[in-house]
Amino acid sequence: MEAAKDAVRCAVCSPGVRTVLIRGPSGTAKTVLCRSLSDISGRRMVNIPAGADVERLFGSVDIERFLDTGDLCLEKGLLAEADGGFAFVDDINLMDERTAVMVLDAVVTGRIMTERDGISSVQPADIVLLATMNPEEREMSDHLLDRFDICVCVSPEEGLDARREVLSRRISYEDSASEFRERYSEETEKERSAAEYASKIVPLVQISDELRLIISELCVKVGAEGVRGDIAVLNTAKALAALDRRDSVTRGDVERAAAMCLVHRRRYDMEPPEPPEPPEDQEQDKDEDKGSDVLPHLDDMMFEVGRQFRVIDYLGKGKAPKASGSRNGRRSESESAGAYGRQVSSRIPDGKAEDIAFGATMRAAALSQKGRDHGSLRIVVEDQDLREKVRRVRNGCTVMFLVDASGSIGARRRMSAVKGAVLSMLKDSYVKRDKVGLMVFRRRTAEVILPPTRSVEYGYKLLEDIPTGGRTPLSAALVTAGEYMTSYSRSHPGERCFIVLMTDGRSNVATEEGADPNEEARRIADSMRIPATQWIVVNTGNGFRLFDSASELASHLEALYFNLEQLDADALAASVRTAAGI
Amino acid sequence: MSRGSVVFPFVDIVGQEEMKRALILNVVDPGIGGVLLKGEKGTAKSTSVRSLGGVLPRRTAVKGCRFRCDPSDPDRMCESCREKSSALETEEVPMEVVELPLGATEDRVAGTIDIEHALKTGEKRFEPGVLARANGNLLYIDEVNLLDDHIVDMLLDSAAMGVNYVEREGISFSHPSRFVLVGTMNPEEGDLRPQLLDRFGLSVDIKGERDPKVRAEIVRRRLEFDDAPEAYVKARSQETEALRGRITEASRRLRSVRLGPEVLDAVVTVTSHFGIDGHRADIVMMKAARANAAFEGRDSVIAEDITAVAEPVLSHHLRRRPFEDSSIDSEELEKCLQNL
Repeated sequence: MEAAKDAVRCAVCSPGVRTVLIRGPSGTAKTVLCRSLSDISGRRMVNIPAGADVERLFGSVDIERFLDTGDLCLEKGLLAEADGGFAFVDDINLMDERTAVMVLDAVVTGRIMTERDGISSVQPADIVLLATMNPEEREMSDHLLDRFDICVCVSPEEGLDARREVLSRRISYEDSASEFRERYSEETEKERSAAEYASKIVPLVQISDELRLIISELCVKVGAEGVRGDIAVLNTAKALAALDRRDSVTRGDVERAAAMCLVHRRRYDMEPPEPPEPPEDQEQDKDEDKGSDVLPHLDDMMFEVGRQFRVIDYLGKGKAPKASGSRNGRRSESESAGAYGRQVSSRIPDGKAEDIAFGATMRAAALSQKGRDHGSLRIVVEDQDLREKVRRVRNGCTVMFLVDASGSIGARRRMSAVKGAVLSMLKDSYVKRDKVGLMVFRRRTAEVILPPTRSVEYGYKLLEDIPTGGRTPLSAALVTAGEYMTSYSRSHPGERCFIVLMTDGRSNVATEEGADPNEEARRIADSMRIPATQWIVVNTGNGFRLFDSASELASHLEALYFNLEQLDADALAASVRTAAGI
Repeated sequence: MSRGSVVFPFVDIVGQEEMKRALILNVVDPGIGGVLLKGEKGTAKSTSVRSLGGVLPRRTAVKGCRFRCDPSDPDRMCESCREKSSALETEEVPMEVVELPLGATEDRVAGTIDIEHALKTGEKRFEPGVLARANGNLLYIDEVNLLDDHIVDMLLDSAAMGVNYVEREGISFSHPSRFVLVGTMNPEEGDLRPQLLDRFGLSVDIKGERDPKVRAEIVRRRLEFDDAPEAYVKARSQETEALRGRITEASRRLRSVRLGPEVLDAVVTVTSHFGIDGHRADIVMMKAARANAAFEGRDSVIAEDITAVAEPVLSHHLRRRPFEDSSIDSEELEKCLQNL
């Protein structure tokens, strides 16, 4: 929790720290921490729900005023309300990705741009964004993550004492919030004055050229691409120094800042660091120490955390995000029936208009005002004026390959066919904007090797080196894939998902002790219900068996069925597409 | 990453020469057709485009016209300018960077009926949108690959014709909309539709800076700017004016740069050598090379001009499979240009 506290303290006291992300499982007080900020800073905090639409965020036409006077004015959105204070987004990873890009861009550039419903405006805004996410539910793209100056992970307090303390504080808070506040008011007051002092001296904090260079070296080492990481580390280190009532940055500040600012920027396709070279004799300057020291140390830390950070805990018990109904749809985009998705245009409603397109309705009404009975109203809207929004959701496709990587006879041939097929689909998705993911199962478990991605290059690199060998845990694979894709399809409404299971269908590891592995797999297959997801089974066995387990499994999964024998890689990809109608 | 209304001075952006050159060439000759900046996160793509506004030249426009029609181009004037074509007053206006936000709605992009006017007078009147404001300017779209398809379609139409035709909600209207399309994108976020990709004259792949010393310098400038933006910009005003002057001069001399038959030969040799179909790349390469010569103060195009623009002109037109390297072999290029 200390790192998270430091992160928000930095955001309070330094204008150079604009965006802070706190990652962690549910119930780790992420939200509580963020909300406590307005107490410490005395600044306003505006809550932004992850489901807020663009109109509400960026502002839209002031309807009341328009109806009253006929003037088109901007009604400020949530972001504008947060000007001069904090915007808080809980579960930002559940926000529509494009919307999240827009929000972060507004915060980072300090401008809120609105071009909608007859309104065209640019407002300056000074906002600090705090966000939380629970990585169990959905990952965020690197590109979005990079927009956060600081990203820290929190985990539940370990150890009985700490847990007991959390519990007892919580209880006393619930019993009497005001008493609790009083009891801790001294601490709050201390935080507040520390933050106030720090914000005064932050502009005066100095940093040596040597440390500046170390920061940049560090960023290059972890593979941070642009210079946002460098800037973030520098600003955070300054803030940490100021919070510590110092006017110059130390190596320790840089180290702490790097742990806060670079973990989410490190490239996970980089080679692990080489072990630090033994220092050369002549370079052994007596006390002018650690020039080379700080780097390897940080490096190790980064790799450890970085790796952990990347593992998607798909077995996690995190609550799945709200489903918004599954639909079948055409490829690319389809009109959405509910009031979600992006508005693309408007139309005359068929029956009662529920999702009214204000601008279009007013434009329709505007021309016929003269002849209408106004009473006390400035504007009279009649039924024939009403227009409703036409919204679209992107109906992308996600194809998850679930590949048997156990060490049976045909393993090598099968793997090369699978790699070929995945590659072929990736290439295709390069143009069609589909996403492709890869899970493999062997020994006792199944693992996500490649979360659904559109990035061909990245997927390609990973394909090179899939581990193979061991037993066949088919049941575990089905369960894991089921859980992962259920959560995935729920958080990607409108997306059509496919699981391509490549196996000979013969399981030899059960999840339950003593159960018959094949029996168990079929039972799990029977109970499989994944929203908006279609199974496809590709039999990778040699096809001469009297008893074809793969096709039987396919029928239990209600899957489309293919035999690898007849297909080369490209043909497989094409067949999957054709069969699935994508 | 510029905050608020003051933008980082273009002249102080460290490195990224190819990107800067591509932007400048498009200002010198808007006919090149815009530029797509593809690159890693945080590599000064957006900063550069927004900064470009500080060095843009002034241009002539019809005085009082909502669309700032170009008086020298009667074919593309708006209706009202065309009607009084003989008695047009003109004025000098600055060229601008007009930004199209991702969340823009169709009515604000294309323009639509003016509600207030309609309410108050009962008359239909056209209210211009972003495409009107973009006329004669740069139209900048950040994260262009995330733009809604139906907005992309509108852009493509306007970009192709130089005119925005509006047929919606009882309004039938058209006005000039000629702009330099500038887009930035992160390739990781998904690719661009081929039709849109094709529309960009130049495309530059941007790589992050790997030298820690240079990075530290970038960061130093950045923070100094953030501390006191106005003062920072002011301190660079001389260089900024010098660059604006050079760009203005280059666009003036553009038409007088000689394009001899040997240049056309060289262009065609290069494009056919690299297996480019269609004539668009030929034209773009010729224009870009000419703009480069003008910017360098030359009266005729030389081999260096073609070398300088070959990569940004060709890289996105090369027919290649996704995993193949897209870069142009410089030796091959040299060979093609031997005769020039």
